[in-house]
Formats: sequence, structure tokens, C-alpha cells
Amino acid sequence: MKVLVIDITKCNGCHNCQVACKDEHVGNDWTPYAKPQPLIGQFWTKTIDVERGTFPKVKVSYMHTICQHCDNAPCIPACPQQAIYRRDDGIVIIDPEKCTGSRNCLDVCPYHVIYFNRDLNIAQKCTLCSHLLDKDWKEPRCVDVCPTGALTFGEERDLQHLLNKAEVLLPEHKTKPRVYYIGLPKRFIAGSVYDAKRDMCIQGAKITVCDVQSGDEFAVASNDFGDFWVDGLKVGTFSVKIEKEGYHAKQIPSVSTDKDVNLGDIELQCVG
Amino acid sequence: MALKMTKAKSGNRRKEKRIVKGLGFCGIAADANAVEVDVANGKIIRINPLHYDRMYRPEEFNPWRIEARGKVFEPAMKSLIPPLSLGYKNRVYSPNRVLYPLKRADWNPGNRNTQNRGKSGYVRVSWDEATDIIVSELKRIKETYGMEAVLSQSDGHAETKTVHAAHGCHRKLLRLLGGFTLQTRNTDSWEGWVWGAKHVWGMENLGQMVPVTNVMDDISKNTELILFWGCDPETTSWGWGGQLASRACYWFTELGIESIYICPDLNYGAAVHADTWIPIRPNTDAALQLAIAYVWITEGTCHKEYMATHSVGFEKFREYVLGGEDNIPKTPEWAADITGIPSRTIKVLAHKWASKRTTIAHGNGGPYIRGPYATEPARLEVLLLAMQGLGRPGCHQVKMMEWSIYQQHQRNPWPRPLFIPHLQAADRGWKYEDTPRQFIPKCLIHDAILNPPVTWWGTTTLSRDPVEKQFVQSKYPVDGCPEVHMIWTDTPCLATCWNDSNSILKAYQHPKIEFILAQHPWLENDCLFADIILPSNTKFETEDIGVDIFGGQFDAILYEYQCIEPRGESKSDYEVVCTIAEKLGLLEEYTGGRSVAGWIKHGYKTSGVSGHISFRDLKKKGYWVVPTAPDWQSHEAGMKGFYDDPEQNPLTTPSGKIEFYSERLATNFPDDKERPPVPHWVPYGESHQESLLHPRAQQYPLLICSNHPRWRIHAQHDDMTWLREIPTCKVKGPDGYLYEPLWLHPSDAIKRGIRGGDVVKIYNERGEVLAGARLTERIMPSTVYIDHGARYDPIVPGEMDRGGAINTICPHNVTSKHATGQVASGYLVEVEKVDIEELRRKYPAVFERPYDQAAGLCLERFLERGEAR
Repeated sequence: MKVLVIDITKCNGCHNCQVACKDEHVGNDWTPYAKPQPLIGQFWTKTIDVERGTFPKVKVSYMHTICQHCDNAPCIPACPQQAIYRRDDGIVIIDPEKCTGSRNCLDVCPYHVIYFNRDLNIAQKCTLCSHLLDKDWKEPRCVDVCPTGALTFGEERDLQHLLNKAEVLLPEHKTKPRVYYIGLPKRFIAGSVYDAKRDMCIQGAKITVCDVQSGDEFAVASNDFGDFWVDGLKVGTFSVKIEKEGYHAKQIPSVSTDKDVNLGDIELQCVG
Repeated sequence: MALKMTKAKSGNRRKEKRIVKGLGFCGIAADANAVEVDVANGKIIRINPLHYDRMYRPEEFNPWRIEARGKVFEPAMKSLIPPLSLGYKNRVYSPNRVLYPLKRADWNPGNRNTQNRGKSGYVRVSWDEATDIIVSELKRIKETYGMEAVLSQSDGHAETKTVHAAHGCHRKLLRLLGGFTLQTRNTDSWEGWVWGAKHVWGMENLGQMVPVTNVMDDISKNTELILFWGCDPETTSWGWGGQLASRACYWFTELGIESIYICPDLNYGAAVHADTWIPIRPNTDAALQLAIAYVWITEGTCHKEYMATHSVGFEKFREYVLGGEDNIPKTPEWAADITGIPSRTIKVLAHKWASKRTTIAHGNGGPYIRGPYATEPARLEVLLLAMQGLGRPGCHQVKMMEWSIYQQHQRNPWPRPLFIPHLQAADRGWKYEDTPRQFIPKCLIHDAILNPPVTWWGTTTLSRDPVEKQFVQSKYPVDGCPEVHMIWTDTPCLATCWNDSNSILKAYQHPKIEFILAQHPWLENDCLFADIILPSNTKFETEDIGVDIFGGQFDAILYEYQCIEPRGESKSDYEVVCTIAEKLGLLEEYTGGRSVAGWIKHGYKTSGVSGHISFRDLKKKGYWVVPTAPDWQSHEAGMKGFYDDPEQNPLTTPSGKIEFYSERLATNFPDDKERPPVPHWVPYGESHQESLLHPRAQQYPLLICSNHPRWRIHAQHDDMTWLREIPTCKVKGPDGYLYEPLWLHPSDAIKRGIRGGDVVKIYNERGEVLAGARLTERIMPSTVYIDHGARYDPIVPGEMDRGGAINTICPHNVTSKHATGQVASGYLVEVEKVDIEELRRKYPAVFERPYDQAAGLCLERFLERGEAR
């Protein structure tokens, strides 16, 4: 059974995967796997740059959306023509010759990765390049062109070491995706602590972030520039405590992580 | 010819053949980004990375291996191509292709209407008619003025081809006719290094550190901190050598090396690799550097013994830094106001640099090295490197691209190949050596045409001038030579790549320029000012030979079969010139009696590979990979030789050492306040007034930063449909037009009532450029950011552009009085929202032109109305 593993921490955002998909499918007819993708507008695999934080505590994570090739694919039963099927290797295909354009699959897919081709009146999506896998290719195009090894494709049993640290999108839908993600961006709280009187960055301050609901605590130390990044937080409300010997501690009671947070430059006052 | 025949099991039943091509975009007979192109039924099916191990076992090419800190880094078994190469099908089949010879509708030899260049539409003419006109114009110009009245614009970047070279094929023909005036390239993308750093440490010809032999291995083993200074390893590296730079950055992080990015924008490298981003106002780096020097000098953390034996003139520098010259000590507090970096951060940076083994990484271009007075940060960087013992293990300057440039091992920081293959002998384009007696630097074309005579220093060849040439003054017109009256360009990109190109475009409209001939595959940029445009084609349409040498993984020689038939009536650039030569009766002399196949074979024979693979096998297999040299580790890293013994291994400076004070500059230019003997912080001066500290900033309060583009190579690739869909590539305006993004911090946008997606104009005294507002936290306040190289789409030629060609309004003057570089970043502008409907009402004809929703500007846009394609 095939799986695709996407390691967000290794994605440099080059968009090769997105472009390779177009190179393979725009203007090329791979019936019975897929009919040609329109020149623009469809993204069977899509790279989305997610800008996180505010100046100057900013990072970019590149999110990837692609058909999740679910074991419990909601699109399969939703098709009135039984045009969608799951292969023995787990890859889900929309048969372009059976599809009559009901669009039901677009409505039921929680991942919004199925596109509608008006000219051909069919639904279309990623096939994991199964037309190539059925020849002599070992990987889909998107994986072959990835320069950093952020995408891995293979047999589920061979990739357990990656799957052990991976998660899936929208597990609550119980679709059992065959696409796994490593390092999905969570939320961070960042900032910078300094001593205004001595005009210096405060290194080694202890920053403790506490989940107001659960009481869970996460602690980091500020670096040479006085900067701190508490990453991997969930969406919620946190209190932040900043402590450094010789300075009055500072408490920020309620920080919402609806978005990534930059608390900005935080001045600590010397004791005495 | 088929290399591999496979039968498709599905879809159209067809035979696919696989052809190897190089898809790097440097364009100067040294390629990169080797790909495999699958072709069937006369059509390109797909473009893949080249899998080196498809035809050879890895042990046949001896993959290198860097071992450091208990970890291993190895090359991939495939080329690491960028999306610019991967999606290149877009460019081959672009609706922007010139498919037939075109003539400007209102130009003819009796009525030239030069003032309408950039405005007139084009009509289709036959090859015969076009070449008749060209031959008769060439003869007329020769008889009237002499051949030096023809300006050859024939350099720059492009697809990299050998026999069918994109640039310079016409030079030999012009020489056969009696000569020409050459547009010499300034040392673009390296301006500060060439005009500044060479006076400090030599380093011919680029001014960047050389040798960099085995520096990547040494960084892996010894470096603790890398400063990516105005460097984007996720952008500028792409077209030159692919994405090994990206993998290297992940590797450095894996090793625990700290990465600090110093730049106004959170560039694409910083966005994913930076441990710390230190935003700095564009073109204020010299102030930061001086403050770092101040901290080291006052705290005694310089490598004094090294400086005593390896440098000269430190006392004068010390005096300037401490304020002895101008009563301004260059303290972190002083620099904070200028740079926008808190003084406490500057101090930490200085302390870290002094206590950790530090390397500085660069790309080309960027916000650091192309500003007004770029000589100063370049010189200061070298001085700082010297103050921390440059050349000791872990302490280098390294470039994240152009590895092995000039086919020199010493410019390759990666484990070296057995040899570097080369094809110069077969290259039918320009040669480094062929500067004629009359020439004009590319950055002075506007003044040369509009306000002759002009004089300048240096710039006699492409980046190969030794520093001594910088003390030689040239002028145009040369005594006894005519002014230029005709332009022949195969490099029609000045509109979007050169300095104050609005002035250049006005020069193109001058009546003294009687005829402009362009040859180019796409109708773009300066083509819109040509009177005749000849359709050249892409490398997919020709058979050629190439070498991949810039990638850092493996060098290779490529046999590049033809993939598809030429589109329309296009011919390769070489064939275009052959066609004109034939009409002139000079074909035999022009080709040297060799066919294309003959030149390809000549290339193979002289490439250096002939002892390793037969021509027949190369044609059969399509490529051959040069093995890694078995003894690559035996060469010492970088400047170790100079570090260990500067007397035995001197630099090429007059003293043989690093020169804090340049006696030579003092002697030659005693009154130069813009590039004095000791490098200075020069906010503004005689040549430029582009600083927030200058009164002009009241009117133009934003500093604009312009790097080499992420989704283009300079002027190339702007029509690539699949890249234009990427939100950081283009911003769709309310009118459906895809505008070039302008990065604006939300705080600056709010002040101007600008929202994300609005069409804005960026302007100063030199003109107006439209763009799409992209509000982002990735740019520092009071600074705006835009890539250069967007296709020029004039609303008013020479005044207002819709395409986002920001170089139309960049500074007119060269780097400084005696430094003939161009200035393309770090200058003053203002930005405001525009009402696009109002512009549409004001310029209806421009706004009614056809526009391709996917590819943008297209051939039809510039055809005369009713002119069928």
C-alpha cells in the first residue's frame, strides 16, 4: 500500500511539486488515469506559503494540499456513477471516462482537493501519477522533482520510521488519509527581552508559557539577541512569564494564539 | 536519434524519446540544471531532472561525500533543478513567442518615426523582405557613417547554448563588414566587489574571495556562524546552478551552525533557514559594519597579530572609525539611527562574530551590493573579515552560486571534479577578448546617445578587467569614430534590467538612432522599440552540445538533440545571423566553412572529455558525468595559504596584503569623496542623493529594495504561466491584469490607504511604475520591496510602465564618480494607490490591447490592429 509523506520542515517553498504536476498533466492525456488538466487554475498538488508572526519575528511555512487518497474516501460513495475507485495500492482515481460531472465529490471532500473541469465536464484530481507508476517510475513527478527530500513516496511498511512521527490532516473526519505530514505548523509565541538602561539584550531569560486551560507549561531561554520562540503551541490562550536573575519578572496574563504571536521588544527592569 | 524508446501503455499510443538538455540561464557557454526532456509526436511531454545514474553506475563517477561532526552530506543522484527549468515548456510554447519576422508598422527607410518607438504596432513581413531591409540598412550605414555607427548589444543572460549561442553571434558578421561599436557589460550583480573590494584584497576578476576551494567542506567542519549578508540562497542560485544551495543551508542547520540573515526583507532563504533575521534599511550596511569595527577596536577583539602581518594601513581606518577624522565615533548608537537596527543588537552581533568562527555567504545582486556607493560595504566587509583572521579554518567568504565560473576549480567551494569540461571553441557567440576600439558601457548607453560625449573609468570588457583598468579613462565617441546610428540587439532587456531605463528608452526614440534591429524568441522589453524583429528560437528547437558545470554536485557534458521543430518561422540566433550573412554573400566566411554538426563535433573534441567517452557513445547515451577527483581533499581550504604565510602567498594588491588604506586610490583619485582611500559611510554625495538622510526623502520617503527575482532570471521567464499563478509571483488587480508584487509593510500601507491587492504606483522623478500591493510582515517599515526583471508594458514609453519594470526608475548615475557600476537597489521612492479605471479612461488604446490571462503580455498585444498572427 502506497503512502506519501510530506515533511514541512524540509520544504523550501520552491513549488517544484506544483509545477511538475502541471508539466505532467496540462496538455497531456493520460486516460484512463486522467484527462488533461486545464492550463491554469487547478492545483492537484498545491504549495501555500503561510506567513507567520509579525515583523521582525517572522517565519514562513509552506503548506501542501493534495488528494489524501483516503482509505475511507468520502468521494467514492458520493459518486452517482461509481466513477471513483480505490486501487489495490491505495491510490484513489476518478475515472475520467465514467465521470459525468455530478460534482458530488467536490462537495464531500473535506480537503478541497478535487477540481471541476468545465470544458470536459468532469471532476479531476491527483492520481499520484499512477500512469507512470504503472510503467517503470518509482515515484510521482512531484516527489521526483523535490530537491530537499521533503516529499517521500513508497510502501507503507517501508516508511514506518517516518509515519511514526507524522500526522494526518483533519483526523476528525476519519477519512484515514494515505498522505502524512511531518512538522505541520502549530503556533508560536515569540519576542525579545532587553535592558534599556544598559542598552543590552538579555540572554538566558527564562520564558514560561502556560496553557491557561490545561495548565501545561512550556519553557525556553532567550538567546544571545534576547529573542525567544516558543513553538509548537496549539490554538488557545496562554500566560507568559519572563524571569531573569537581577530583574523584576514580567507576566503577560492572556495571549491568544489564534495566530502566531510576536510580543515585540519587552523591557525588563533591574532589581534595585 | 532516439535515446530510449518506450511504449506508452495508456492514453495516446505514442513513442516517447528522451533527450538531455541543459536548462541553466547564465547563457555563456557554461550551463547547469541538466534535464531529461521526454518528447513524443513532435511535442514536449515533460521535463525531468537528469538522473545521473540512469546511464552510469555511481562508482563510475565517484560521488563525493563530506563528513563533519559525525554526519554525512552527499550529492543527490539527480540534478536539483529549479521551477524555472522544470516548467520551461511554458516558455517554449509561450503566446509571447515571435513566430515571424516583424516590422514596426510606421517605420520604413523613408519615414522612420523614431518618436513612436514603444508605441507603434508591428506587421508581419517575410524573411526575404526583412533581410532585404537589414542588408540595405547595413550598407547605407556603412557608406554614410562607417561600421562603427552600428552598436552591438550582445551580452547578458539567456538560455545557455553553444553553437546556437543566444548572444553575440552577429559580432563576427559585423567584424567581417568592417567593425562595430560594442556595448560592454558593466560588472553587474558584482558592482561593489569589483569597484570596491578589489582595492582592498585584489581577488581578480570579480573582487569576491578566490580561491574558495573546499570551503564547503571546511565550513561543515569548522564554522560556527554564517552571516547571509544581502544573500538569498533560495533565489539567485536557481538559474545558475539549481538547488544544492538550499540543501547546503539545511545541512548547515543540521550541523548546528547558526545562520543570521542581514537584509531589509525576510528573503526566501531567511524565511526558512534563518535562526535570526536582522532587518537593515537598504544600503546602510556600511554604517553597521563600521559600528562592528568600533566595538572590536574599542574592546580589543581584533586579531591584531594577523592584522600586523596580513594587512596595511589599519591606523587610518582606526582613526576614521573612532571619529578622529570627522568627530563622529562610529558607535553602535550612531549606526542604530541609520540602519534601523537597535544598538544592543549590533553589539551582540559584533560580540558573536568576534567569538565564533564566522563565514559570510553571498548570492549575487541583492540589497547589499548594487546600491549607490556599493564600493563601501564591499570594502568594509573585507576589512571586517581581515580583523577576524580571514583564511583561518571556518572563516571565509563564500558565494552560494556560480560555482566553477570561468571554468576555474578555484571558484568551486564543493569537492572538485576531475576536470571542468568546456565548449568555448564551439561557442558561436561573443568572446571575452573581442572589444573593438569604440565601446560604451551598458550603464551609460542613455548618456552616450542623449548627451555625448561621455567619459568613464574602466569597463572595457565583461568582468575581466584587471583592477588597473579602473584607472584608465575612456570616452565616446572615440576620436575619428562616428556616433551610433543603428542598434543590433540580441539582448533586448535594458528596459527591465538596467539603470534609469526610462532614459535608455528615450534614447531609443532619438532620431539619430535610425534603425533598431532585434532578434529574440519573445516579443518583450526593448523589442518594443525595434524597427525589425527577427524570430529566434529556444534550445528545444535546435541540436547542440552543452556542459553542466555550475551545479556543485557533478559536472557533465550533454549531447542536446533537437526536441521539436522550430516554432513558426523561427531560427536559432546563429541561423538568424547566417541568413543575413548569406544575403551579404558572406556565409562561408561567417561559418568558417563548418556546419552546425561540424561545430558540435569540434566542441566535443576540444571539451576535454574525448579521452573519457567516444563521440558515438556520447550521442548514444546523451550525457557523460565527470567523476569527482579522487584527491579532492588534498587541497587546502580557501585562503589558508595566505593565512599561513602571506609573504609566500601574497594577494594581488600593490602591497600583497589586505589594504585598509589604498595608496593607489589616494594617488589616482585624491579628491574622491565618494570612494576615498579608506572606506567610508557615504549616505549621499555628488553622484547620488538616495538616502533617508537627504532632503529628497521628504518627497520620496520610502527606500526601495530590489533583488534578483525569485520567479525569473532577470528579464527571463516572466511569461511562465505556472509561475504566474503563485501568489508571491504576481498579484491580480481588480482589472484582471497580473501585476508585479510590491511588498509593503502594513504600517506603511495604512498611512497611504493601500489595501492588499490594490494597484499602486511606485514613483520618483524618473517615472512611474504600477504594481500590485502585497502587504507583508516580511519587509521592514519605511522600506518597500520589488523584484526586478518584470516585462516592460508601457503606458507612456519612457515615463509610465504597467508591467512592473522597476529599473525604469532606478538611479541614472553609476555607482560613484570613478566607479562605473549600475545602481539598481536602495533608492528613494513614494508609493500611492491608483485608480486603474481612471488610467483606463485616460489611455484607452493602451488598455484595450489584447492580454493573455495565463501568460500576460502576448504577441497580439503588440501587433497592428487587424494583423493576423
